[in-house]
Amino acid sequence: MSDDRVPAARTASWRSWAPWIVLAVVVLAVIVWAAQPSGAPTPAERARALAAQLRCPDCESLSAADAQTSSARAIRRDLRARVAEGQSDATIRQAYVERYGEAIVLEPERRGLGLLVWGLPVVMLGAGALGLALAFRRWRRLQRRHATPDDEAIVREARRDGPTL
Amino acid sequence: MKYTARWIAVGVAVLLVALVVVFATQVGSDPRADARQSELAGRDVPEFRITTLDGTRLTEADLAGRTTIVNFWNTWCIPCREEAPALQKFHERHADDPTFQMIGIVRDDTRRAVERWVDNRGDAWTIAMDPGGNAALAFGTRGQPETFAVSPDGLVVGYQFGPASVEDLETLLLAARGRVTP
Repeated sequence: MSDDRVPAARTASWRSWAPWIVLAVVVLAVIVWAAQPSGAPTPAERARALAAQLRCPDCESLSAADAQTSSARAIRRDLRARVAEGQSDATIRQAYVERYGEAIVLEPERRGLGLLVWGLPVVMLGAGALGLALAFRRWRRLQRRHATPDDEAIVREARRDGPTL
Repeated sequence: MKYTARWIAVGVAVLLVALVVVFATQVGSDPRADARQSELAGRDVPEFRITTLDGTRLTEADLAGRTTIVNFWNTWCIPCREEAPALQKFHERHADDPTFQMIGIVRDDTRRAVERWVDNRGDAWTIAMDPGGNAALAFGTRGQPETFAVSPDGLVVGYQFGPASVEDLETLLLAARGRVTP
């Protein structure tokens, strides 16, 4: 009797997990597909991407790609020239950090404390998912309670004696 | 396993606190707060190429051997106009000193407006145009006015963000001569 129940329970468990597994696989596939580079960027695209990573030095919270100040225009020209010279993205970014300091880079660096800014949201997401999974598991383990005939009798009694509206 | 939920809650709380600390110290800082200091301080004067109003080409090599005050400005910026009398007074004091020179580099303005300004005010120091903004970029300027002090051996030794008073300019000059730290 018990030998029959174990495979049946396993099958039920798999069935309950299957939609989540499918969902996870689909989400991962979409992320991987979206993250795929669509061919090598042209020099103009590289310069534009670099400008988007740099802060416009004489305006508030705008990238050098979006701002229209003389500094932003000069930066865009300089980036195009550096890309044409064959400088790497890292070299170009470093040249700007040396000139303006770390504040010129819009995105925090992926090292040191800056790594926390990138990593913590992912860790938080993982912790949240784990917490939810544990909570669902616990709720599923709780046996469903049904009213006994005695309970129903108590309720009937209370209704009969209670105030009427 | 008895206190799993509690440990997870503590872990999440610790992560949240860490995130708040990181955002408060790293991301939330005002980038313009860095404007008071120049990354060039203590380093070689950057490469630049500008043309003065009389057509003379100037590069970083022309700064060698003299203490130089480099001032970025233009005619339409209000703080530059406020600074103009101080620049004039300061230059008059040192105009006869052969070891001193002052260069005004114009950011984002027209040659015509600058020539009219100089004629009207009688500014006697070197004024150069920077049409592409390359010199401003090389010096890492964030606006105007900004003033740099360059020592005779080509080191950037002082920096002033915003309008400089005569006293500020004197301090920058002393720094360029190696006598004080601005």
